[in-house]
Amino acid sequence: MSAILLRRTLAAGRWRLLAVAAGLATWGFMLCAVYATFGAEIRRIVEGGYFGDLLDALTAIGGGSVFTLGGSVALSFIHPVSIALVAVLAIGHPMAALAGERQRGTLEVLLARPISRRRVYGTALAATDLFVVGVLAANLGGVIAGATLFDVADELRLDRLLLVWANAVLLYTTVGALALAASATFDRVAPALGIVVAVAITSYAVELLGALWPEMAGVRPWSLFHYFQPAEIMAGVASPMDAVALAGISVAAISYGLWVFPRRDLAAPS
Amino acid sequence: MNAIETVGLTKRYGLHGAFGRLGRGRRDPVRALEEVTLAVRPGEIFGFLGPNGSGKSTCIRVLLGFLHPTAGAARVLGLDAERDGVAIRARVGYLPGGIALYDGMTGADLLDYLGSFYDRPPALRTRLLDGLELAARDLSRPVRDYSRGMRQKLGIVQALQHDPELAILDEPSEGLDPLMQRAFYEILDERRAAGRTVFLSSHILSEVERVCDRVAIVRRGRLVALEEIGALLARRRRTVEMRVDGPPPSLTGVPGVTDVVVVDGHLRCHLEGDVRPFLAAIAGAPVSDLTIEPARLEEAFLEFYEDREPAEAGAAAAGAGAGDDRDAERTEQ
Repeated sequence: MSAILLRRTLAAGRWRLLAVAAGLATWGFMLCAVYATFGAEIRRIVEGGYFGDLLDALTAIGGGSVFTLGGSVALSFIHPVSIALVAVLAIGHPMAALAGERQRGTLEVLLARPISRRRVYGTALAATDLFVVGVLAANLGGVIAGATLFDVADELRLDRLLLVWANAVLLYTTVGALALAASATFDRVAPALGIVVAVAITSYAVELLGALWPEMAGVRPWSLFHYFQPAEIMAGVASPMDAVALAGISVAAISYGLWVFPRRDLAAPS
Repeated sequence: MNAIETVGLTKRYGLHGAFGRLGRGRRDPVRALEEVTLAVRPGEIFGFLGPNGSGKSTCIRVLLGFLHPTAGAARVLGLDAERDGVAIRARVGYLPGGIALYDGMTGADLLDYLGSFYDRPPALRTRLLDGLELAARDLSRPVRDYSRGMRQKLGIVQALQHDPELAILDEPSEGLDPLMQRAFYEILDERRAAGRTVFLSSHILSEVERVCDRVAIVRRGRLVALEEIGALLARRRRTVEMRVDGPPPSLTGVPGVTDVVVVDGHLRCHLEGDVRPFLAAIAGAPVSDLTIEPARLEEAFLEFYEDREPAEAGAAAAGAGAGDDRDAERTEQ
């Protein structure tokens, strides 16, 4: 890892980081506010049986809902809105760092310095992780601020909340590692981004369908999102194997990237 | 130790690994470089010429470790280009062709950032900025506001500011106005005077003629000529025009003189090689006017650029190199 490159990367991405962090903090805060304000009413509606099992099924992915605080916390981390916000950095930054720089021609200028490709790769990975840690910390901060302000903080288990945060960091680190591996493989952003977005959307759809449709439950382990169950963590019933699975995928993606990036030819940008 | 040394350097694109064999098995690989062998001496300015797509940039990218050679080897400052890329780049300054810069940074920040990767201080920055007329006010603006010429100047400064032992410059005067080109040539002269080596690729033949000690010409990935600029020019055909007030001198059998045409006291011929036999032959002739058009690199260059078979071009190059330092200069066919 290069400290010079890392400083420059963080400086260049600071406004994007702040914007996404503000969005996620607001999102986390808002879900706690919705729970504190309307949670009891929504729970009564659900328990009244007006919707049959529909709401139960729809909230099965990640256990997200706004009629328990644990569910609200889960929703703040696993809802498509928060996924899209985190992806701006977890996918966007790796794309810009290698394939984007390659496409613009600036990677050539950087690699003309005495810095190895492995260090460039390691720095891009570290920066991605720091961005992910930062924006998810903002999400966490928003949840804690919302729960405190709306006087429901006593329902929160801080240790479990931190585990949710750590598991989310691991999930998006894995997504970032996959994105960086794709970015290191292609000369242009479009194919790399296409593959990673397709993997992410398919992965989410597989988990969602597997949760809604019992016949498809068997495919859920093929989804990255299957290994992040915030509601289970908040309830204290999560499996530590989820973290092991995500760590394994991360290590595989990072190993591939570290193998392919120094070995590939970098022809003149077109 | 040579500043740059390549032996049988070959680069082909395509057909690499399992993906290449599966997906493109019926396609011929692109032969970007074919057995290029050359040596650049320390302290010289070496011109690397060739038409678009001839393999100049590929060769430069192999030297810097951006591309891995298919065969052969390259050494830069005595280090292996494949294995020792980081150590090489610590001692080299590089200006890519059509350089891309970080548009959001100011010129000053960019130079600081790019210079901070080196152990050497940016000792030449002030001199380069002065020479290329980049004022502090210009450097305080974001690079996105720069004209093409200013970007190129900034590219030159970032490549040379840390006083590299070897500068590899790809089309360095592209986008510079004539005044700035002259300033850049002065900088190159200073590099040579300081004992530093410059390897530059260029399409501007007057520039190569003006600044380079030796020149290599590549075509279709092959080296077709490599020799001293002076020797290359000395062998070029010059056109002689002469007006005589009486009988024209006999030029039959004079070494190097061909295509003699005399019309109404006006003699025209071509002259190659040593000029002294010609001068001796016209001594005493009633010459009232004499013009010998100087040999230009352009003619030599175009000769090698002509669309001939590589073997033919190689033979021409072999002839061109006769009598030169064959240790350092090899002509490939």
